[in-house]
Amino acid sequence: MAATPPVEHTLLIQGLHAEVGGKEILKGVDLELHTGELTAMMGPNGSGKSTLAYALMGHPKYKVTSGTVKLDGKDLLALTVDQRARAGLFLGFQYPQEVSGLSLSKFLWTSYMQRHTAENANVEKFGKDLNSNLALLGMDESFLKRSLNEGFSGGEKKRTEVLQMATLDPVFAILDEPDSGLDIDAVKAVGDTVAQLQNPGVGILVITHYQRILKFVKPHRVYVMVDGAVALSGGRELAEELEAKGYDWVKVGLAPPA
Amino acid sequence: MESLEEAAVMAQTAEFQPLDYTRYDFKDPETYKVRTARGLSREIVEQISALKEEPAWMLDYRLRAYEHFVERPMPDWGPDLDCIDFDAYTYYANPLAEGETKRRWEDLPADIRNTFDKLGIPKAEREFFGGVGAQYDSGTVYHRIRDDLKAKGVVFTDTDTAVREYPDIVRKYFGKIVPYNDNKFSALNSAVWSGGSFVYVPPGVDVGIPLQAYFRINAKAVGQFERTLIIADKGAKIHYIEGCLPKGEEVLVGDELTPIESIETGRAVLNSDGEATTVEKTMVRPYDGDMVHITPVSKSNAFQLTPEHPVLCVRREKVAVSRRAKGLPDVDPSKLAAATPEFVPAGELKPGDFVHYPVNRTENDDPELGTAAMNVLGYYLAEGCTQMINGCEAVTFTFHIDEREFVDRLVEGIRELTGKTAWTNPQPKKHAIVVGVYSRALFDLCETHCGRLAGSKRLSQTMMELPPAKQQLLLKAYYEGDGHVYRRGGTVHRVMTISRQLAFQVQELQARQGVFATILERAPFKETMKDGREISHHTLYTIYHQVGKRAHAVHRVKGSFLVPIRKIHRTPYRGNVYNFHVAGKNNTYLVKGFSVHNCTAPIYSTDSLHTAVVEVMAEPYAKVRYTTVQNWSKNVYNLVTKRAVAMESALVEWVDGNMGSKITMKYPSVYLKGRGARADILSVAFASAGQVIDSGAKCVHSAPDTSSKIVSKSIAIRGGRTSYRGLLHVAKGATGVKAAVRCDALLPDEDSRSDTYPYNEIHEEDATITHEAVVGKIGEEQIFYLMSRGLSESDAIHLILMGFLAEFAKELPMDYALELNRLIQLEMTGAVG
Repeated sequence: MAATPPVEHTLLIQGLHAEVGGKEILKGVDLELHTGELTAMMGPNGSGKSTLAYALMGHPKYKVTSGTVKLDGKDLLALTVDQRARAGLFLGFQYPQEVSGLSLSKFLWTSYMQRHTAENANVEKFGKDLNSNLALLGMDESFLKRSLNEGFSGGEKKRTEVLQMATLDPVFAILDEPDSGLDIDAVKAVGDTVAQLQNPGVGILVITHYQRILKFVKPHRVYVMVDGAVALSGGRELAEELEAKGYDWVKVGLAPPA
Repeated sequence: MESLEEAAVMAQTAEFQPLDYTRYDFKDPETYKVRTARGLSREIVEQISALKEEPAWMLDYRLRAYEHFVERPMPDWGPDLDCIDFDAYTYYANPLAEGETKRRWEDLPADIRNTFDKLGIPKAEREFFGGVGAQYDSGTVYHRIRDDLKAKGVVFTDTDTAVREYPDIVRKYFGKIVPYNDNKFSALNSAVWSGGSFVYVPPGVDVGIPLQAYFRINAKAVGQFERTLIIADKGAKIHYIEGCLPKGEEVLVGDELTPIESIETGRAVLNSDGEATTVEKTMVRPYDGDMVHITPVSKSNAFQLTPEHPVLCVRREKVAVSRRAKGLPDVDPSKLAAATPEFVPAGELKPGDFVHYPVNRTENDDPELGTAAMNVLGYYLAEGCTQMINGCEAVTFTFHIDEREFVDRLVEGIRELTGKTAWTNPQPKKHAIVVGVYSRALFDLCETHCGRLAGSKRLSQTMMELPPAKQQLLLKAYYEGDGHVYRRGGTVHRVMTISRQLAFQVQELQARQGVFATILERAPFKETMKDGREISHHTLYTIYHQVGKRAHAVHRVKGSFLVPIRKIHRTPYRGNVYNFHVAGKNNTYLVKGFSVHNCTAPIYSTDSLHTAVVEVMAEPYAKVRYTTVQNWSKNVYNLVTKRAVAMESALVEWVDGNMGSKITMKYPSVYLKGRGARADILSVAFASAGQVIDSGAKCVHSAPDTSSKIVSKSIAIRGGRTSYRGLLHVAKGATGVKAAVRCDALLPDEDSRSDTYPYNEIHEEDATITHEAVVGKIGEEQIFYLMSRGLSESDAIHLILMGFLAEFAKELPMDYALELNRLIQLEMTGAVG
C-alpha cells in the first residue's frame, strides 16, 4: 500500500480549570499541541504542571470544572481514561505504579493490543522495535521478565515509561517529569530516546522543572506555567534563561532580571 | 401461506395463561446401584465395610474411628460449623456396584462419562497425564495408569482395591500419618471412607508425568469421603494432581448474548413479547441434578436448563394431524397457527415440540444512520477492517476481483458519508481489490456500530434497534459483500462470520425481516500447510435461510416464530444455577433467543460434605508434589486433613488452591522427620460472597537441618472471608532449622475480610525463622495507571489479580491455569468500581 503523508493532529486545550480535593489548581490553561512538535512545559513546584497531565489523562481525583480539551475536535473530556488512551493519548508518569506478578513484556503486549487489531498487530515488528528501544534506553532484556516496575530503581522506572511510550505509538504523549531523580547519564539516555522518538506522527509534551533534559530533547516551543495558567512562552532559549535566572521573576510578572 | 399467517395473527391476541407454580415442584430421581440409608450409625459403618468385603482390621479401625467421632466435640475455633447436621447426609452412594471400577472409559455409564467428558478427562489423560482416576460420590468409577509406568512397578489405583491387592503396604501406612483421632473430621473419614487414590512409587522411580484424580459430588446431601495414600519410596519422584471444575448459559439482553451469571439487577433483557424489560432480582442457587439440553433446528441456538424450568412452547401432540407409525406426527398448520403457546417444564418437552422465538420489537430510529451508512457498514461487516496506517485511522475493505459493482457502490457510499474519495487498489495476484479511506469519522462509525476485530464484530444497540427497513439495507449489503447466494432446491442466502455475537445478532435482524435463519457452527481446527506452517481456523458460524421456503418447518406466527426441537438430552450437573425476576406481568426472558419463564423451583437447602484424608509418605531422598485445584460449588463443606511425612533429605511440596466451597478448613502439613528434609507449601484462597476459606499450613520440624517455606496468598471479594492459620513447630533437638512464612492478602473492596493466625512453637534457639504478612488493596492509582494504557477497568483489575496469583498459576497445568483465569474474570465482573 502506498505510504500517505500523516495527517496533522491537534490537541486543543481551552480555559481548562481543574481542582483536586476541592482546591482549584488549574485556573484557565490554554494550550495547543500539534503532531510533529515537541513542546516543553516548565514551571516552579506547585504551579499545576502535573495536575495538567493528570487532568488530561482523566485521573478520578482531578476534577475538571470548566474548559474544553479537544483531540481533532473530539471532546476528550467525555471519554473514560482507557478510551483516551485508545484515542492516542499517553501519559508517562512521574511515579509509575508497581504491579506484582505482571511481567513487563505481558503488560507491553496487552497495552499494544489496545491500540491494534488482530489484523494489524505485528508480533515480529513489536519484538524488533522492543529490542531496539531497549538498546536505545540502555536497558537489559531481562527487564521484560520482571514484574512491572517492581523493585525498579527510579531511573529504571523512568526508562520503562519511555519504553511504553515507544511501544504504544501514541498521537500525543505527555511525559511528566521524565528527568526527576535521575543522574546525568540517565537523563541523557531518556532525553536522547525521546528525541529519537520524535516523528511527524506524534506530538510530545515534556513537563519538567529543570532545563537539563531539554538539552537533549530540543523542544520546538517552551511554555512556563505559573499558578495554574500558562504565563509565558518562547523558544528553546527561554528554558536556558529560566535555568540561569530562576522562576521568581515570572511569578511576579516582571521583566527578567538583567 | 398468507392465510396461515393471518390465522396466526388472530390466535396471538390471547394472553398467556397464568402459571400454576405447584407443578414445577418435582425432583429427579438419582440412580445408584448401592446406597446406604441417610444418617450415620455403627450399623452404617459396618454396612459400608461389609459392602467392600474388607478384612477385619479395617472394620475394626472404622469402628474405633466412629466411636471417636461420636465422642469428639466440634472444633471450638475457626469457622462456624454448627449448621452441619450429620444425620442429614448419606454416607455411601455408588453409581456402580462395589468393586466395579472401570479400566476402560467406554465402559462407564453414559451420564457419568458425559460429566467427566465435560471436564475434559479422557483428553487430559491422552495429553498430559500418566494416569487418571475419577470418583463420583462414593464410588471410584475409573482408574487407569499408563502401561510404561505400570511396568516400572508404579501402582495407581483406588484405595479400596489397594486394601485388597496391596494389604501389606496399605496396612503399614494407613492411618499412621493421619491417625483417626487427629481431629473430628479425620475420625469421620476414617469411619466411612470410600474411594480415593492409592499411589506407590518404587525406589528410584521417577514418574515424570503427573498422575491426576478428579472428584465430583453429584447427588444432594451425599458426602464424599475419599481416602488418599501416596507413598514415594527411597529416591522416587511423583507429582499428583486432584481437581474439580464446572460452566454458563447465555441470555439475550437486546443487543448481545450475555452469560447468565453476569446479569445484574437493573439490566435490560428481552421478554417473550420481544420487548425490553429490566431485571428486578437475581438469584443463584446450588443445583445438583440433571440439566436438560434442548437443541432446536438451529443447532447453535441450543440451550440448557434445569428440568423444572418453564419454557414457552406449543406441544406437537396438540397440533398434530395424525399419528404416524414412525417418526414425528405431521402438523396441521392452521391448528399450529391457532395454538396458544403455554409454559411447560423443560423436563417434559419432547423432540418435535415447538419452542417460541420472539422477535425483538424495540425500535428507535437514528437519523444519522442513513442509506449510505447502512451500505457501507454492511460491506464493513462482510469485508472491512479498521486500522491505524502511519498513525492515521483508516478503514479498508477487501473484495474479490469480480465484485466490481459493489466496489463502486461502496466508494459512492464512502463519498457521501465522509466527502472523501476512497482509493482502490487492485491486487490481481490475490484476486482482490482493496478499497480504503483515511477517515477518523468512518473509523469511529465502523468501530462504534460494528466492532473492530473480525472475531469481535458486533452490532451496536443503536443498530439493533433501527427500523427494520434500514436493517434490511444493512443485511443486503452484508450478504452481497460476503457473496454467498447459491441455489440448491431453492435460493439459499448465507453469511459466515467467526463472531458468535454477530451470528446471533444477524439471526435476530433476520427475524425482524420475517425470516428465521439457522445458525451452523463449525468447530475450530488446525491445518498444516504444505510449507509446514500451521494455520488455526476459528469457530465459524454460518447463518443461512432459504428464500421462498419455510426452512425446517419453522412456523411464523405474529411477532414470533415457533421452532421445532430437534433433540433433547440430559446430563448430570452439580454447581450453581442462575435465574432472575424481570419486571412486568409477562415475567419471561430469552435464553439463546427462546422464551423461558423465570424459575420457581424448590431450592435445595441441604449442603454437601466433603471430608477427605490424604496421607503422603516421602521416604529418604524422595520428592512428592501434591497439587489441588478445588472449585466445589458454594454449598459444599470442605473439611480436609492433608499431611505428609518427609524423611531424610526428602522434599514434599503442597500446591493447594481453594476457590470453591461454602466453608473450607484445610491446613496441608509436613512433618519433617529426617535430617535435611524440606517442605514447600503454596496455599491459595479465593473467597467471594458467602464463602469462608480458612486455610494455611503446618510444618513440624523434628529433625536437624530441616527447612520449610510457606507462601499463602488470599483474595477476598464481595464479602468473602479468608484466614491464614499456620503452625511452625521446631522440636527440641532439631537444630539448624530454617523456616520462612509469607502471607499476602488482597482485599479489593471494603466488605471482605482477611485474618492471619500464625502460631510459632520454637524450642531450639538457633532456628532461623522469618515471617512476613502483607494485606493489600487494589489502589485507585494502580487501576488508573493500567487504564492510562488503554485497558478497561475490569481488565486492569483482572491483570492485577492474576499478577497477585502468578506464583500459583505458573505451578498449574495449562488447563487449570486457564480455568483459574476464567473464574477470576467471572467473579470480578462488577465486583469493584
